[in-house]
Amino acid sequence: MIRIDHVSKSYDGGATNAVRDLTLEIQSGEIFGLLGPNGAGKSTLLNMLAGVLAPSSGVIELDGVNVAADPLAAKRNLCYVSDSPDHLLRLKGHEFLRFIADVYEVPDAVRGPRIAELAREYGMEGELDNQIQSYSHGMRQKMMIMGALLPDPAIWILDEPMTGLDPKASWLLKQSMRRHADAGKTVLFSTHVLDVAEKVVDRVGVIAHGELLFVGTVDEMREHFRMGGSLEEMFLELTSDNSPLVGEAE
Amino acid sequence: MARATAAQGFSWRQFRVMLRVIMRGEQHLDSTGMGIGGDEGSTRRGFWGGLGSGVRKVAMGFLFLLLAAMFFMMGFMMGETGTTPYVAFSLCAVCLVGLTVLTGLYQAVNVLYFVRDLGYYLTLPISATTVMWAKLAHFLGVSLLGDLIILPVGLGCLLAVGAAPGAWVVMTLAFVLCAVAVNLALVIICVPIMRFSRLAHDKDRFSRVFGALVIVFALAIGVGSQFAFQGDGLASLASGSERLLAGGVPAVAMGVLCPPSLFARTAIEGDALGAAGALLAMLASVAVYALVLSAVARRWYFEGVQALQGAGGKRGRRVEGAELAQATRTRGALAANLSRDWKTMARVPVFFNQFVLSSLLMPLYFVVIMVASGVVGVSQASDAGIEPMAVLGMARELTALLTFDSPALAWCAVGVLVFGLFLGFSSYSFTMGVSRDGEDFFFMRGLPMDWSAYLASKFVVPFALSTVPMLLLIVAALVVLGVPAAAGLYLVGIYLGATVSLGLLSLGLGALFPRLTWDNEAQLVKGGGATLMVFAGLIVGAVVMALPALALLGGALWEVLAVPVALCLALAIFVAECGVLVWWVLGPCARSLSRRER
Repeated sequence: MIRIDHVSKSYDGGATNAVRDLTLEIQSGEIFGLLGPNGAGKSTLLNMLAGVLAPSSGVIELDGVNVAADPLAAKRNLCYVSDSPDHLLRLKGHEFLRFIADVYEVPDAVRGPRIAELAREYGMEGELDNQIQSYSHGMRQKMMIMGALLPDPAIWILDEPMTGLDPKASWLLKQSMRRHADAGKTVLFSTHVLDVAEKVVDRVGVIAHGELLFVGTVDEMREHFRMGGSLEEMFLELTSDNSPLVGEAE
Repeated sequence: MARATAAQGFSWRQFRVMLRVIMRGEQHLDSTGMGIGGDEGSTRRGFWGGLGSGVRKVAMGFLFLLLAAMFFMMGFMMGETGTTPYVAFSLCAVCLVGLTVLTGLYQAVNVLYFVRDLGYYLTLPISATTVMWAKLAHFLGVSLLGDLIILPVGLGCLLAVGAAPGAWVVMTLAFVLCAVAVNLALVIICVPIMRFSRLAHDKDRFSRVFGALVIVFALAIGVGSQFAFQGDGLASLASGSERLLAGGVPAVAMGVLCPPSLFARTAIEGDALGAAGALLAMLASVAVYALVLSAVARRWYFEGVQALQGAGGKRGRRVEGAELAQATRTRGALAANLSRDWKTMARVPVFFNQFVLSSLLMPLYFVVIMVASGVVGVSQASDAGIEPMAVLGMARELTALLTFDSPALAWCAVGVLVFGLFLGFSSYSFTMGVSRDGEDFFFMRGLPMDWSAYLASKFVVPFALSTVPMLLLIVAALVVLGVPAAAGLYLVGIYLGATVSLGLLSLGLGALFPRLTWDNEAQLVKGGGATLMVFAGLIVGAVVMALPALALLGGALWEVLAVPVALCLALAIFVAECGVLVWWVLGPCARSLSRRER
């Protein structure tokens, strides 16, 4: 479970907030989609959950572990895919996966078969001996996702994970997310691809200007605002300057 | 399509637009740290950022002026000892061509081809010739500024011989034309190389080969200068340069690479009319090279750029089954971090050249100096009728006196500290340890990293590369010189204390103040900031060695401590320093990393 309690983040000493007094609970066994336009604060929020950024105020707990108080224990319980796949580019694919497995202390008996399985599933078997810098954007993204799934922690936090993936890899990832949630674990991901969100998520959160404007199921959102359109139309309406939610949030 | 674009001519208007953009700063893919530009890509904002940038510029200006003054004095002394201005100019020209040939080719390639923005320029309706000339104009401007540092040798000579102001102007113009010509010549060579060479299309391999050449050349100059600057070495070098320009194959090579040098004697030693004619001839030769370059660029520049796009590195094999399991078997946190750090360092050309190759070549540098000095010493001893073995025997008799109650041992220890202080120049490989990771650091911040193991790995790699080979060299020297075992062990202990504490303090400072936002690796190791960091290593060295040095001098020089007490105190201080520094690096510094944000 992820618990976010009155969390704010400012990069300029409090003059402005990238995330403003955000409170949210994501239950175990749930896939939660975070929607929002560019610059809404999605990546800042996910970075705080992953322990890369410290909140200016508020508390974040992952399965009961306070991220600020015990970041190492919290990180062992989560995997994080950031919005850029350009990391450790000089390592070969298998060297990258070994490094991740070592950091997460994945035992030999688990890592070998799991790496082979992930490589087969994501079509990367022939690429493991090449440096990541030689990969295409989509292949790098696959490698980051493989690295995240390798330790198989309870909480997955994925920032725009479908970007650059081919249809098969995208479908595989969605299947993995579903299986993970069905096993009683937690998935939180951000996306711009609203169709994906509509088909995969159990609940969505709409964030704009650092504030959470709405939390609920897609059907609830439709019912609440009496909109008959697609998620995309609702999203555009909700995040526009004259959003019906701005008044409610204030 | 390529031919259609290449056929487009030069546009003055587009040239000015491109030059303005290029001068604003480009993203370079420079992998050796020898290229020009791209250094300001990640400057820090705000008052402190501006202040830091200002201080860096002032420091670099001061360094430039210092070197220029040194060269001016060298030229002045040459003039005082009878060297003519033309001979001094010959030395300038030969140095200019030598240095430019070695570093200029890579710089030209870097500026003209290894630019991240180039792919975007090629999508714009601008001719390849215009793009190349805009880049070249920027390259020539920056190169000329650097080349001017050699000119004071000739000017100093002019001052010594009391030359008229006109002679100063002629020599300056002649030098500038030589500098422009040699850079144009290099680009004329570089364009077809980049069009047809497969090595040049593999940026990493190309960078590594050229980086290695430059470092070996720099070390060779260092070794050579140990001997050249003794006695009349500089005057000999100058007259050798003059002979080089006088005729034969070297003169032809100089004439091809730098045609204005063919007219230099007339320009500098001739009368006013002759000098003017020679300068005009120099200018004409530069114009001819510019025309040749335009023709070559129109034909091959765009095709070379296209050949570079998408040229990849070597592809690996398929790894699976037992081999994959073996390749991904479990390691501890330190081993995992060590492996990752080493692979990154060895595979990034700029890191390999700066931190691996130069560290490994440093002992070789000392070996060559020691062997050459030994050969000279033996030769001089033979001339004086002394047997070489007798010289070694005398040295061993002296080293046998190194006991724990002898001030000589304390002085030797002081010598080791001075040597350790000199090694402070290379301590930036520790300081840069964390900075080397750049944006990867923030990726690792999202992982459950053991930051103490991370920092320990950042210590082990440069220590193994820089200190261990030198330690082996020192042990070999101690054995050859017959230093008693106890005294030898003591000196080794002092050396280890000095280098370990220097490395730990440098690493810790680098961890507390890392530079993690850079566009390419070369930004870390070139430019004013990196140069200042190298000199800052001396200060760090002085800090860690001050107390042990005071203890040793207290016994050897001021005699306020008994020599054995001074020796033990110095070693004890190092042990204490190392203990405190280990705690500081693995504790507070590691915690600082675990909380660091962008």
